[in-house]
Amino acid sequence: MSIPLNILFWIVVIPGTVVLGLIASWIVRKVSALVQWRVGPPLLQPLYDIMKLMGKEILVPQEAQQTIFIAAPLVSLAGILLLSIMLWRIAIVQTAFIGDIIVAIYLMTLPSLALILGSSASASPHASLGTAREMKLVMGYELSLVLAFIVVIIKTGGQISLAAIAQQAPVLSISGFLAFLVALLCIQAKLGFVPFDIAEAETELGSGVLMEYSGALLAVWKLAQAVMLVALPLFLVMVFLGGFGTAGLSLVWGIGKYVLILVLLILIKNTNPRLRIDQAMRFFWFYCGITMVIAIILAMIGYYSGIKWL
Amino acid sequence: MNWKMWSLKKSPWVFHVNTGACNNCDIEIVNLLTPKFDVERFGIKLVGSPRHADALLVTGVGTRQAVIRLREVYRQIPKPCVVFCIGACACGTGIFEGGYHVAGPVDKIIREVDPNAIIAYVPGCPPKPEAMISGVVKALSAI
Amino acid sequence: MNQQELKDKLAEIKDKLTDIQQPLDDRISLLCEAENAYAVNKFLFEEVPLRFVIATGIDSDDCFEVLYHYAYDQLGFLITLKAFIRDRENPAIESIAPFLPGAEWIEREIHDLLGIDFKNHPDLRRLILADDWPEGVYPLRKKMAGEIAKQWPCETSVRPTTESPARRTVKLSKPVLAVGPFHPLQEEMEFFQLSVDGEIVTDIDMRISYNHRGIEGISETLQFDQVPFLVSRVCGICSASHPLAYVQAVEDIAGVTPPERALYVRVIINEFERIHSHMLWVGLAGHFIGYDTVFMWAWKYREPVLDLLEEITGNRNNYGNVKVGGCREDIPDETVPKILQEIDKLEKKTEMLTKAVLDDPIIHARLKGIGVLTKEDAIKYAVTGPTARGSGIAIDVRRDDPYAVYADLDWKVITQPEGDVFAKAVVRLLEVLEAVKIIRQAVKKLPKGPVAVEVKEIPPGEGCGHAEAPRGETFHYVRSDGGNRPVRHKIRAPSFVNVPSFRASCIGEHISDVTITLAAVDPCYSCTERLAIVDRQGSILHGYEELHRLSCEKTARLKKEIGPPEWKLEDF
Repeated sequence: MSIPLNILFWIVVIPGTVVLGLIASWIVRKVSALVQWRVGPPLLQPLYDIMKLMGKEILVPQEAQQTIFIAAPLVSLAGILLLSIMLWRIAIVQTAFIGDIIVAIYLMTLPSLALILGSSASASPHASLGTAREMKLVMGYELSLVLAFIVVIIKTGGQISLAAIAQQAPVLSISGFLAFLVALLCIQAKLGFVPFDIAEAETELGSGVLMEYSGALLAVWKLAQAVMLVALPLFLVMVFLGGFGTAGLSLVWGIGKYVLILVLLILIKNTNPRLRIDQAMRFFWFYCGITMVIAIILAMIGYYSGIKWL
Repeated sequence: MNWKMWSLKKSPWVFHVNTGACNNCDIEIVNLLTPKFDVERFGIKLVGSPRHADALLVTGVGTRQAVIRLREVYRQIPKPCVVFCIGACACGTGIFEGGYHVAGPVDKIIREVDPNAIIAYVPGCPPKPEAMISGVVKALSAI
Repeated sequence: MNQQELKDKLAEIKDKLTDIQQPLDDRISLLCEAENAYAVNKFLFEEVPLRFVIATGIDSDDCFEVLYHYAYDQLGFLITLKAFIRDRENPAIESIAPFLPGAEWIEREIHDLLGIDFKNHPDLRRLILADDWPEGVYPLRKKMAGEIAKQWPCETSVRPTTESPARRTVKLSKPVLAVGPFHPLQEEMEFFQLSVDGEIVTDIDMRISYNHRGIEGISETLQFDQVPFLVSRVCGICSASHPLAYVQAVEDIAGVTPPERALYVRVIINEFERIHSHMLWVGLAGHFIGYDTVFMWAWKYREPVLDLLEEITGNRNNYGNVKVGGCREDIPDETVPKILQEIDKLEKKTEMLTKAVLDDPIIHARLKGIGVLTKEDAIKYAVTGPTARGSGIAIDVRRDDPYAVYADLDWKVITQPEGDVFAKAVVRLLEVLEAVKIIRQAVKKLPKGPVAVEVKEIPPGEGCGHAEAPRGETFHYVRSDGGNRPVRHKIRAPSFVNVPSFRASCIGEHISDVTITLAAVDPCYSCTERLAIVDRQGSILHGYEELHRLSCEKTARLKKEIGPPEWKLEDF
């Protein structure tokens, strides 16, 4: 890629991702409102929320672990922004390195871990209730998520390079489709959407993980969640749906794939009641786990016997 | 006007406190936050923790027991913030003036904690949900 | 028993009394000294037997009086036992709570407000005064009135500490919290504190003081015709019943009968209030068990009733429509067809909902057998209203001691024997339909004429007035000395006796049923928000949100086991 375009990329990538994230979170809220026959918030509402939070004072509980309390949201935002940069770079510039999918998986866990650390550093018994639940939830879906990616890696013949994986569309096979479904639900949980909004909903109701956060720190958490709405579906597009093109038709196709995932997330969000933590864990460990084991077996059979659609 | 107040007006998150009321105002507030009135259009959202709040909806006359709690809640709200006194009792103790257990009215208590607090009044007994929305929106645009 | 038999029965205890008076046909006063009060109370409650209504403490100039009010519902009699405590330095009387748990709270309240000591009371802690209220200051004593706020200002609290002052008044938890700093607002969630063993509730404690506005004290500073506006705001959703009970008490003292049209108007407004209060309850109950569409639907159908009331009286709540001698405003003739139209619509919807609820197997599984209040407990805790009628006790002030024109209209008292939450839900739903019937008859029979009589003076005397609020019997006792203001005005809201019965119905229940059991008693809305489960050290294990979620999840579980309901609200 030429040098001026390269420089343009580096200037635009972070602000662009943030803006895209805010627009995506507006889409989620607006669609949810329309489903409930309401009007919903104006386009810039997520931006107003962040701006307002930046302007409020930050209250840190007296007994909290201050360093971790303050660092946790920053770590969360940093991790997810790094993931976004990596994904855009692979998509637009087509630079990749061996093993980048593993780096991506690690970076994806950073926001969840940061949430757990941040809320336990709050030293509040109510936040600790939410923390315990969040920990159980994370243990539940991380395994399924990794297994889903393993299915893809097997199907692409052991390539652990995102650029190569993105050339193929593993979703067009049985094991790939199963893996895509499971990964979608894990992303739903990671984003904190219904039916897995066990931590998020409690924030609204007063005993949530983010209860002690205020002001700019809360703004950073919200920002991280908005960016997750860009990074995670994008990751799914690249891993399962055949990549995000950059020129002409493939760009439109890529945007279409991203919107499809967003729509699926919103649909699942609005048509399901909230699950309890033990139900969620059973769902991930048992149902998703078994499904993924089956998918892995199918994928291995398919690969070694050359049957593409398994 | 500075950007902090401007963005607060665009996205006021509310927290509700009852300081000793007959519950009529509280029931009308619950009415307000149902999808029928769709306050999300104004960016208003009900939050469960005062640390996330920008606006405090206070009902009730401010009984001695409840004002202990009210002061602490006000301290927990990150500034800048707005206090809305909903109903005749919160605006000025209403018909309960002079009672032995009445420590209010609400604005006196809030000013003890913070003399520069921004306080808006929505009178009525109880104010209808439409009146409350109108009061909140008018107060926000007057800040 | 008929009247004569009742009087003979009461005469059995004559040796302990100093006098028996009958100021009105259905009002009897028994006078005795404090030492004999325990024996007489036991006789009245257990032998006759009478229903305990409430107790009133009065600071008379030369003595203290404790009035125990009882009701004999079969004849509609109100029987008051006046116990005189002659010792003004250390007033004391034997507590009746050991055999009458329903009297526990009122004795604590009299102790707080008048300083009368109740010997052998199981738990004489502070009930309704704030934690920072100074000891030894009794607001309802005559000399104290008017000076208190000036001399004892509220403490300005400093930075929050780990020790909440309220902790020492709650016996379930230790004074110092075991776990680090809290939000003070979180630890104030001790309105109801439940202790659990695993997932079963073992004990309950309640702290009330947040809503105490000292209305009885304020009433003594207002004139007789200003008081209805005050008592209308005791509780927002019983705001027609309180003024009605008060006004009836004063009309008894003054010997005044309002004109017939006024009585009909009072009936119409009170029944409308019953309808919208029960609809509110239906919505809340639905919310607590996870039927959120029921919540939206019920509150939506409340709105036309509130609009109608606004058209008649000028306000959706707090009507201010009754006064001593009649009503302040008339129902204009143009409104009558509208009223009939609205209640026809409402009747249809309520019938559909009632039928759906009565047939829904999930609601059966969810609510039957939950939160049972046995008939014996209901009598001991002196509960009233749908809480009592749902436990098979057929009491209803409108039939037992008819006021306004209830005696001239055709309607039924709804009772259910089981005592569980389902029974109470059925009672309330069917009462809405009965209320519609009553309104229809009253509107059609509305006579012409004035809507009030002029009342110039209130002579000395005392009166008891009661009305059937949506939650139960509202009782007001008024004493006048011929002046412009009441000398003593005792207000008993129905929730004051219904809410303590929560202890009897909740111990032994699973924590996922706690919210709906409390809601079945129909306390005021903000009471149910303040519900928390604590462990032995006093730290909160489950807040209200958690309990609500557990409740909804139980419903979802039952839905899966039994299958989805056959009815959809969208069809209504």
